[in-house]
Amino acid sequence: MDIRLAGVTVDFAAHGVRALDDVELSIAEGEQVALLGPSGAGKSTLLRIILGAIQPVAGEVRVSGLDPFGGSRDVTRIRRATGMVRQRDDLVRGLTARTNILIGHTHGWRPGDWWHVLRGRVPHRHLQRLHTLAVRHDIAQLLSTRIENLSGGQRQRVALVRALLGKPRLLLADEATSGLDPARAAEALAHLRDADAATLIVTTHDLTVARQFPRVVAVRDGRIVFDGPELPEEAVADIYGGRPAKVNS
Amino acid sequence: MSSSTASETSRITADRDPRPTPPPVRHVPKRSLRYMLLAGCVAAVVWSVWGTHIGLASLIEGREGAARLISGLFPPDLGGSLLSRVGTAVAQTVQISIASLVLGAIMGLPLAVLMAANVNAPGWLSGTARSIATGLRGVPELLWGLLFVATVGLGPAAGVYAISLHAAGLLAKLCSEQLEAVDPAPVEAMRLTGAGRTATALLAIFPQARANIASQLLYQWECNIRSSVVIGFVGAGGIGQALGIAMKLFRYQEMATLLIAVLVLVIAVDRISRAFRGRLGAASHMTNRTLIRQLISWSRR
Repeated sequence: MDIRLAGVTVDFAAHGVRALDDVELSIAEGEQVALLGPSGAGKSTLLRIILGAIQPVAGEVRVSGLDPFGGSRDVTRIRRATGMVRQRDDLVRGLTARTNILIGHTHGWRPGDWWHVLRGRVPHRHLQRLHTLAVRHDIAQLLSTRIENLSGGQRQRVALVRALLGKPRLLLADEATSGLDPARAAEALAHLRDADAATLIVTTHDLTVARQFPRVVAVRDGRIVFDGPELPEEAVADIYGGRPAKVNS
Repeated sequence: MSSSTASETSRITADRDPRPTPPPVRHVPKRSLRYMLLAGCVAAVVWSVWGTHIGLASLIEGREGAARLISGLFPPDLGGSLLSRVGTAVAQTVQISIASLVLGAIMGLPLAVLMAANVNAPGWLSGTARSIATGLRGVPELLWGLLFVATVGLGPAAGVYAISLHAAGLLAKLCSEQLEAVDPAPVEAMRLTGAGRTATALLAIFPQARANIASQLLYQWECNIRSSVVIGFVGAGGIGQALGIAMKLFRYQEMATLLIAVLVLVIAVDRISRAFRGRLGAASHMTNRTLIRQLISWSRR
């Protein structure tokens, strides 16, 4: 999916904060982009705009020609073609890992699927792919475990499998590797990059992660301050305002 | 974004100072206003006490009647035939409480789902659900009881209808608050997958709130037991009806036995309900906000 943002401005009126300021960004289909910036720079807001979760006060957003704010049909089409992994724990407590993965793909469920999934079974069309992904991400043994009994890293992997199960055409990862140990983070990043998703956007405040991507878009105070293939050192100083940037060794 | 709104907001944004605006200053009432409020509260209390003639004098005045009633209660009648009738009345009270809980839940839970703000039901639907729930709980059980005794006749069926209508209104309000108190992150995550309102409500909101809702239902069962005793006085069946008859016929010893049965029943139900609720562990998941709201709601009953 290709993405185009033109003059996008977002205000959080309740907090008196401008989260994004006149952002211009184009991402072609199949591109893999790292959105780099310190906390509060506007990276997550940018992802949420693409999915129509936050409405900008000005500007235009198009995702494969669809307008996320143009009506429920467009936004639903965008969301159903997208997989998202977030830093924040957003799995449903009280349900198993398997159910959590499956309820991320309710579109196309037949009436019988509801009963099937709530009883802990997997609809036939998801069976093979769920098994493959669960083995690849080392959660095959955890599928019947309730979410609240999993560690932070295990939950993050469950969220990753949930995002990948539907073969998304757009994959958004919001600081998705931050809860993982370095080895797992590298592995998860590799899986994200190898996923069948046509377009990948990863937000991070970690320079090491960003430098693994062919294109880096740096954000600071709601503005894009760098957009290019290789991030120069002087741009790093500008992004972090003189503060030391996080670099994983 | 509609085109007119977009152009309007763009213009507003262009004119707006890009610097963050300071948060609005909270309005603090002046001291004199606080004193006026306090004086108003004191006046309301004095007016209420004076108007209802409560006080030591009225209690002293009724001492002879109380002594006659209390002495009449002893010894309680423990005759075999009465105990058998009491047993039947207790069983009927439990039947009324369970049947009215089920009916109340069937009516109240869908209303709760429609009322919960995070379910995002269409405005007209949630507004209608809210009005129905307010209407149902706004009419006291006793009044519902009188209406149903007049329409379906004396007996436990009238009690079940009366209690279930009031319970539906209460459950709708309290359970909608439980649904609203769930962690919003999984709900948003579910919406961002393109899931519809029904799927989000059933798969992301309800599973998070189910322990607290089950706890709420158990508490409502306790309330239904107490309510069925009260509305029995207007002929809606159960132990309340037996108590009302004994009172009208001045059979105080029989009344004493029935009062003991009520006490035992209420304590037993309270214990059972508390044991179940403890197993659910619902209270530990409750936020302080919900707990305070619940206490206020219960105190208003």
